[in-house]
Order: sequence, then structure tokens, then C-alpha cells
Amino acid sequence: MLLRVSGESTGTAVDMQAVNGRVSTDGGVDHAAELVAFTEAVMGGDESTLRTTRAALRDVLSPEAFVDTCAVIGAFNVVDRIADSTGIPLDDMMAAMTTELRSDLDLSRFRSSSNTPAG
Amino acid sequence: MATSALDYSAAGVPVRQDLRDTHVAMLEHLRTPGSWFTGAERLAIAAESRNALACPLCLERKASLSPEQPAGNHARASDLPEAVVEIAHRIRLDPQRLSKAWFDRVQKEGLDEGPFAELVGVVTFTAGLDYFCRSLGIPAFPLPDPAPGEPSGYRPEGLRSGIAWVSMLAPEDATGPEADLYEGAFVPNIARALSLVPAHVRVLMHESATHYVAMGKIPDPNERLDLDRLQMELVAARVSAMNECFY
Repeated sequence: MLLRVSGESTGTAVDMQAVNGRVSTDGGVDHAAELVAFTEAVMGGDESTLRTTRAALRDVLSPEAFVDTCAVIGAFNVVDRIADSTGIPLDDMMAAMTTELRSDLDLSRFRSSSNTPAG
Repeated sequence: MATSALDYSAAGVPVRQDLRDTHVAMLEHLRTPGSWFTGAERLAIAAESRNALACPLCLERKASLSPEQPAGNHARASDLPEAVVEIAHRIRLDPQRLSKAWFDRVQKEGLDEGPFAELVGVVTFTAGLDYFCRSLGIPAFPLPDPAPGEPSGYRPEGLRSGIAWVSMLAPEDATGPEADLYEGAFVPNIARALSLVPAHVRVLMHESATHYVAMGKIPDPNERLDLDRLQMELVAARVSAMNECFY
């Protein structure tokens, strides 16, 4: 969960609620609404919504950045399944960097949080 | 398998060569005999990874309060043992409700952590390829023909237990044939998770470097693709939130 860290490195105030799908504005991330809507559509099952959100994202991103979006979605569907299937804990450095954020977003509600000892 | 074997034309956008090369490498890896499964068995597991999405039992369980209810038989795409089909379907469709108790039961029922880790890699690499294609708007890549040969039975020296459910190889223990396994000073647990099967780790490193960021450079906020790092992290975080993945 490096979104906040990445924002801090560029002096950008990022609205972290976008992670939970609540995007009212771009919240510090260019085209956040289109990115989140597309990501949700890929992860969901409505093909019409997927086509609509894909077209909307392609309207605002370069072709290269659109392909990158697809690549990141693919990559994290690998990472998440490996993490949840093997019971790895969050890395110490990442845990230290994201303590407040995980609390703000109530990520302890996810079952896999039990793989990381409370610090 | 040549890169020309994969068809991206329906996307209507150019797909960079390093992504194409990675996809070929991943499919080549899937069809190659591993440590515990033959190439044909690995491709059968990959087919089951896909088949989970249309398995009526899995879909009913996904909507159920208990991830293991109701009882029943899976829709099958292979003649793999029922226990292997069960695990493959579960990891593909309902990974967020996996638990240590479930993993312990898998071990008790006879699937050792070595073959388990190999199965996890095959299911998840298939999922990653499929999600890329779905995002891009192209059909899923056809699974290749299996390469001949037998599993090696290889298990690295120096594995340690106690950090995750599975044993893992720490960077300081990655020596000999595994000396090339990790790169950089930062080796996250996700890089170590499949180290019972070192070939899986090499594929995961390759995939991460072209689809996201090289594992060892993840903490560097300046590492990015054409998509800027904030956008990358937003997409990554939203995927993980929807997968209900704490990691």
C-alpha cells in the first residue's frame, strides 16, 4: 500500500478513500475516477460496464499508460493470490510505513490481516 | 513458443515488447515440467484455474457465508485429483477467505507444501495473464501444449519455516543454485513466498519488473511505468481492496 508514500514523495495530498472505491474527485491522482471505475469493472462481472469504463479510460490516458493499467491489474491479481495462499505477513518496512493508513482504511477487516502480527 | 503466437490485435493499442516477452515466458513456464508436476499436469491446473470462474459449486460457495459450503462436486476441466481441483478453484475464485486452518488441512490430506507452492504459482500466474487480457479487451491466451519430461523433485536447501504458512528461503540462505534468486537490498515476503519452487520466483520477478516495478525497487517512489506511480499505486490498491487482500 504505497499510495500515500508515493503521494508524499511528490508533495501530493492523496484522498486515500479512493482505495475503498469512494472517488468524488481525482483526489490528487490524475484520472483517479476513470482508473478506479475501470479497475472495478475488470474485477466485476458486468461486460457492458467493462466496455464503457475501458473506453472512458482510453479517452484520458495515452495508449501506453492504458496498457500499463492493464499490466498492474494483472500483476496484483497474482500478488494478492500468492499472499493469501501462502500466509505471508506484511513486510516490516511496509508495515511501519503504512500503520496509520491501514487503520484509516480499516484494513484489519480483511481475513488475511491475521497473517501479520499486530505491531 | 514465439511472441508472434500471442494475438493482441483486438486491443487496438500497441503492447510493448517486454510485456509480450513476459507473457511468452510465463506460458512457456506453465507448460514445462516443474519440481512436482509434469507439464501436462501444470496445464491441467491452469485450466482448472480458469474453470473455477464457471464452476457452479464455487460460485455458490463464493456467495455463501462459509467458503466450504455447500458440499458437492466441482465442475471439472481435467482429471486431476479432487483435492487439487478444490485448491485450484479456491485460490482462483475465493482467495480472501483462505486461512491457516485450511492450509493445515490441505497438508494433512496429503498435499505437501512443495507441490502446494507449485500449484499456487500455476493458478496465480494463469490468473494474472487472464486479468491482463480481460483488462485489455482481448481473449485469454490459449494454453500451450505441454513440454515432455518428468518433475525434478527439486527442493532448495536452507528453507525456513515459521514466517508464513509455507517454508521460505531467506535472502541470506539463497546460495548455490539459488544465488541468483533475489535482487537488490529489499526482498519482500511476496518474492520469497514461492521459494519452495525457485523457478516460480524467477517468473514472478520477471512479471513484476515488466507489469509493475522490479521487486527490489518497490520502495523507490520514482520507479514507474508510462502510468505515473501514484496512478499505479491507486490501481494496485483498488485491486487488492477488491480482492480483500491485506498484504
